[in-house]
Amino acid sequence: MRKAAFFFLGILIVLYCLFPFLWTVITAIKPPEEVFSLPIRYLPKRLSVENFVEVFYKRPFSRYVINSLVVATGGTILTLALASLVAFKLRYMPVQRALMLQRWLLVGAIVPPTLLVIPVFVAIKALGLINNPLGLILSYCFLNLPFGIWMLYAAFSRIPKELDEAAMIDGLWWGGILLRVILPLARAALAVSAALIFIFCWNEFLIALTLMPDQLRYTVPVGISMLSGASIYEIPWGQINAAVTITTVPVILIVALLQRWIVEGLTAGAVKG
Amino acid sequence: MRKVLVNVSLALLLLSITSSILLSPSPIKAEVLRMIGPEDVGGAWAEVIKRFHERHPDIQVKYISGPWSTDERQNMYIRSFLSGDPIELVYMDVTWTAKFADAGWLLPLDRWFTPEMQEEFLPGAVEAGRYKGHIYRVPVRGDVGMLYYRKDLVPSPPRTWREFEEICERSSHPPDLYCIVFQGMQYEGLVCDFLEYLWGAGGEVIDTEGKVVLDSPQGLEALKFMRKLIERGWAPKAVLSFQEQHSLSAFSQGKAIFMRNWPYAWTILNREDSPLRGKVGIVPFIHKEGYESVGTLGGWGLGIARGVKDPEKAWRFIEFATSVEAQKILHFRRGAVPSRKALFLDPEILEVSPHYKDLYDIVMRARARPPHPDYPRISDTLQKHVSAVLAGVESPQQALKVMARSIEGTLKGKKKNYLKRLSLDYDLKRTLKNTLVFTSISVPLEFLLGLLIALLLNAQFRGRWFVRLSVLIPWALPTAVMAMSWQWMFNNPFGVINDLLLRIGLLERPLDWLSSPSGAMFAAVFADLWKTTPFVVIILLAGLQTIPQELKESISIDGAGPLRRFFHLTFPLLLPFVRVALIFRVIHAAGIFDLIWVLTKGGPADSTRTLCIYIYEVAFRYDELGYAIFLTVLFLFALIGVSFLIMRLTTLGYERAR
Repeated sequence: MRKAAFFFLGILIVLYCLFPFLWTVITAIKPPEEVFSLPIRYLPKRLSVENFVEVFYKRPFSRYVINSLVVATGGTILTLALASLVAFKLRYMPVQRALMLQRWLLVGAIVPPTLLVIPVFVAIKALGLINNPLGLILSYCFLNLPFGIWMLYAAFSRIPKELDEAAMIDGLWWGGILLRVILPLARAALAVSAALIFIFCWNEFLIALTLMPDQLRYTVPVGISMLSGASIYEIPWGQINAAVTITTVPVILIVALLQRWIVEGLTAGAVKG
Repeated sequence: MRKVLVNVSLALLLLSITSSILLSPSPIKAEVLRMIGPEDVGGAWAEVIKRFHERHPDIQVKYISGPWSTDERQNMYIRSFLSGDPIELVYMDVTWTAKFADAGWLLPLDRWFTPEMQEEFLPGAVEAGRYKGHIYRVPVRGDVGMLYYRKDLVPSPPRTWREFEEICERSSHPPDLYCIVFQGMQYEGLVCDFLEYLWGAGGEVIDTEGKVVLDSPQGLEALKFMRKLIERGWAPKAVLSFQEQHSLSAFSQGKAIFMRNWPYAWTILNREDSPLRGKVGIVPFIHKEGYESVGTLGGWGLGIARGVKDPEKAWRFIEFATSVEAQKILHFRRGAVPSRKALFLDPEILEVSPHYKDLYDIVMRARARPPHPDYPRISDTLQKHVSAVLAGVESPQQALKVMARSIEGTLKGKKKNYLKRLSLDYDLKRTLKNTLVFTSISVPLEFLLGLLIALLLNAQFRGRWFVRLSVLIPWALPTAVMAMSWQWMFNNPFGVINDLLLRIGLLERPLDWLSSPSGAMFAAVFADLWKTTPFVVIILLAGLQTIPQELKESISIDGAGPLRRFFHLTFPLLLPFVRVALIFRVIHAAGIFDLIWVLTKGGPADSTRTLCIYIYEVAFRYDELGYAIFLTVLFLFALIGVSFLIMRLTTLGYERAR
């Protein structure tokens, strides 16, 4: 009895969580004329890819996807590179001090991007990097660095120090130790951090909106939000839903593949703070 | 020392490698002149640019299709000016000129656009491009608000408010046939509509001496009349979310007898596939008995951004785009009203658009909105209070008083003393209140829901892994992108949420969620709940899993029921996690931006505009970076304070002693 109730509640939760996404997909695969048909059809009469084709043909959507890929990949690589350097340094610090530093990093990570957008804009403008992917990459690195350091420090501190010493005796310099010993051993944590930071960058809206005013530089979220009201007659909801589908499916795949580790990583960070 | 050097050089190396990889694929920028406009319907601009290119092969012009909303495109231009990479050709609405010129973003065109040339254009349209004695804008298309009516339903169109009311009373039968549709959303279009009622009743916003005279009997009548349109059901409630295209689409589906719109609609309504072809007439807008009809002057013109390398080339394009040839293309392909006087008598145009003879009269009498560098603020004030009156949240009297006071404040100029300004900042109070409402509703709800889900997921049952996965999904999906999905789901009449609620029987008739203040707030909270509850679940679930099984068993053996177990064991042990989740959530709910920006843009009537949206607009719309930073810092301190408070409240006595 109790099991059945739990099962039922579970189904409710799944529906609640997945419904917006499912409805988006259903709208996207409807033929365009059916999107605006009343009464609403819950299952499309026929499957259609027209909405998808239109998003790519009529609008520079592929451009947005490339932009997003560039900044998200760049942001992830740069963040992880710097984070692994810092985490490696923290490893040699007394634990008390390292934890103190991390607590301050937590404060940095908690500040919402809304409060950072103006200072970041001023800084990036001073660097002359407006409309330049590098400007966005640097900002994303700045935003995600605390999180990256956290994740990597947690992973690094599980590796016994004796390994470093052994490598040192073998004549490796510290960079070599990091690259050849520590990073390979922490590759699981590295992969999860990479996935999460990639998702954060891929999803980011406000800073991308502000730092890339040129339409050809829009990232996917900015591009989609600008699709609204682009035509006289009506908002192209079929195309918008197709675009949303294309944007969200990769995120869902990443999450599904790395589910267990993501939860572990997230909570390891949050709970330590 | 050597170690430090090695560190630094390694970091630099990494930086330079990544940057060079990333920078290499970016294309080399050719010298292109860019302009932003609405979607190029009918390929009119493409044709103009093609013909221009045939004559000047050395000059490249690129037309960027921006959003249909005028405000959005203005924001795009402002962001480009602020960023130091200006869009070269400034295709601007009449109302932008004063602001852009005052900020020094535009190049004066006096040396090219001579008085003799100006003679050939509509006088009002030329004047709208002048600021402090210099000309900054050449009109490309004129525009004026007017009344469309169904010739088949109304034999003689109304001229006065009273005649209009009589027809509404007699002939409209909502919800199948409304009397009028207009632009009621909180945006620039609403101001145009409002001014026509105001001017048509003899009222003014600012008199010739620069005094604010809005709070007058005339102003009251105008607002009351607009409110009446909604109250009596003559206009659908949905006009609160209507811009031009929505009005046109409702009108062309035969849902209304009248429509307030710009001239472009005539061409679309008379297309061959239009059901209303030949059934639509236009007249100057209605006015109060004893006064004269006035239309709001709209229209677009081209200017040159300061900092363009070769302004001479940009001028060549402007010259062509405002020529007879180009204006004809724009007219025939997308119904643009010319800005050259001669074209209103052009036989070719009169053949297709016989109504142009009458239109000439209306356009010549059109009035421009008050030219002021702070016009966006004046307009925002008007938008928000007129919209509030339409939505029924403010009374006309109240709205007039606040509008007049707020515009007076704007005209007095920007206060450099931020602290003093803080106490007078009406927007700040309003948005702060919205933020508090939003946070205090959404955080407790998502916390409770999150706790329940976490408790459930901590128990063993079949398929648990899948539920856990599903819970992760909303957290991982991009907020701004999913906000579009929510906008679609809350849509009326095509949205799925109305449909589901109707089917279950929770609603009796469909609701216009996003166009009523409480509906929009509900929608924002609901979407946020969906998006952020998973975060609470993840944190609390992790906490639950740290509680040793033996403890639970021993307290059960001691005879504690599930409730007692929760309050005496689970919850106290969960407190550190509760603390983390609460602090995170409060801070992020108070700092919400993406979701609301995309879902409602802060409307209707500013009912969902939160503090961060306001701060962002202060910086990137009103161009007052200093004040924005000041507000940001204050906000940051407030958040730090709140975090400490939460920390203290969730720390038990014995923990504190430690």
